[in-house]
Amino acid sequence: MSTQLLIAALVQGSLYALIALGLNLIYGTMRLLNVAHGEFVMIGAYIAYWGITLLGLSPIIAIFLAIPFTVALGAAFYFGIFKRAMRSREFVERIEANSLLVFFGASIIIQNVTALLFTPDQRAYHYLEQIVHIGPAQTPISKLVALAIAGAVCIGAVAFFRLSTLGIAIKALIQQREASALVGIPVARIDMICFCLGFAVAGLAGVLVSMTEQISPYMGFPFTVIAFVVVILGGLGNMLGSLFGGLLLGVLETFGVALTAPSYRSIMIYAVFIAVLLLRPQGLFGTKRART
Amino acid sequence: MNPHLNRTLGLVTLVALLAIALPWLGNDYYTGFFFELVTWIALAESWIIISGMTGYVSLGHVVFIGLGAYVAALTWMEIPLWTIIPLTGLSAGALAAVIGYPCLRVRGPYFVILTFGVSELVKFIIVNIESALSQAGRTLFAAPDINDLYFIGLGLAWASVMIALLVRDSRFGAGLRAIRENEEAAETIGVSVSWFKLAAFVLSAIIPGMVGSLLILRSTYFDPLQIFNPQTSVLIVTMAVIGGSDRPFGPLLGVALLVVLQELLWANLPQLYMIIVGVLLIGVVIWMPGGVYGRLQRAFAAKPTAARPT
Repeated sequence: MSTQLLIAALVQGSLYALIALGLNLIYGTMRLLNVAHGEFVMIGAYIAYWGITLLGLSPIIAIFLAIPFTVALGAAFYFGIFKRAMRSREFVERIEANSLLVFFGASIIIQNVTALLFTPDQRAYHYLEQIVHIGPAQTPISKLVALAIAGAVCIGAVAFFRLSTLGIAIKALIQQREASALVGIPVARIDMICFCLGFAVAGLAGVLVSMTEQISPYMGFPFTVIAFVVVILGGLGNMLGSLFGGLLLGVLETFGVALTAPSYRSIMIYAVFIAVLLLRPQGLFGTKRART
Repeated sequence: MNPHLNRTLGLVTLVALLAIALPWLGNDYYTGFFFELVTWIALAESWIIISGMTGYVSLGHVVFIGLGAYVAALTWMEIPLWTIIPLTGLSAGALAAVIGYPCLRVRGPYFVILTFGVSELVKFIIVNIESALSQAGRTLFAAPDINDLYFIGLGLAWASVMIALLVRDSRFGAGLRAIRENEEAAETIGVSVSWFKLAAFVLSAIIPGMVGSLLILRSTYFDPLQIFNPQTSVLIVTMAVIGGSDRPFGPLLGVALLVVLQELLWANLPQLYMIIVGVLLIGVVIWMPGGVYGRLQRAFAAKPTAARPT
């Protein structure tokens, strides 16, 4: 029983961590609140769905279609809207509220374009549904594949922020934007890279999510909310924190639902969310300074 | 009170009095349309009290509508309508006081997300209460006809515009705007920041609560998932922002635009309607800060200087 739950919690938690990572990257560097993040997850999921139903492509290969697609869309957003808007003083003065409204608009557009194109119906596909036994637990292989990929990417991200020059530059930018520019970090270019990376991670996560549950045009928004919960748990702008936050929420959710009832799932997520915002808005691991 | 404000208040009242005649001009379909219009006006004008004036953007105003609707659904046929409406307003105000006190300590994007989270939390709590009572929705029998609902809605719309105008012109309104510009500075010069914010939040919740009771009497069916739909909060924000949330007359333009669009598209192409809402929202935030009303005002104000040869 508990091994079963632990595996479910890990699968859920690693996906949450991945989705939150992308959101945190965009917020951390540019202070843009991307409430359309879940919609990019949904796009990734649809690419995997159409890849396997129309072309017979394995979702693993669909990852390599989903990432360029979401990155291209993200780049279009960056160059079409934000690059110009970031130069306007009026926009930057209230950047968080304004970006929230812009992304809200984007989220509404993406949801409804998808619903128009592909109908609002729920869809699912069959992929690696054989059950494997791990000790007393049993789980479909697809969930283990999703866990392996999400876990590998999360660990890769940790290494990236620790070891590579680019990763360290991104961390510097998150901590001290002005000072980073002074020491010669190309701020505008790293903004653009983080923007695209954030969307790439969302697209990748979408493919993995589609392996574990049904998809629909409106599936994105709950993921946006969860990503915000996770990011706030871990601290806005704190990459490692959002990985821990994701796992923590996965565990809380899976065990919480097992101990009570599935209908309490949403109440639990929102209760954690509100409690953290009110009690520790700087995140569980954050310092007071991170609060703005 | 200055004479200019008196004139504006008089004008608003005159328009509202003339609008009483609207149900006699057309049929129930038109009255239904005007009902939509006045309820959205009441919602958007209430929203700007907290979000337009203090800059604390509430993305959860649907919670007050939903609570009002729930109270109305519970008390309908138990107590008379004229007591239900104030009661729904009071309960929404009380809820605003309870959630506002902790939430308003949190600023900027955190507040926005928090209001959204609270409204979803309340929604799911009510969903669970209803399913524990094994109620799959509640039907309201013998609801008042559309004309009566329209008159009450018109009254609420009038009240919301009057309140927005009066607040904006008062010391209270000046304090709220000071909070938006710089909260620390406002505190330093003696604005009791937390009370002002809480009062504005409660004030902006009461009318939406009452609107909730009207909406549920109009649809005659209470389903928490529908009445607490976060899309309503998004639409309120969009209407106010498109029109211009800084001026009491701004939201009227946004409401008029979106309600007409909604009437044209909702029945056949609801997705297209939402796509247009999204495009308008992005367009206004990026290219028209201050909204349509702000832009118009600037255009008229700029004319004399533009005409002068330089």
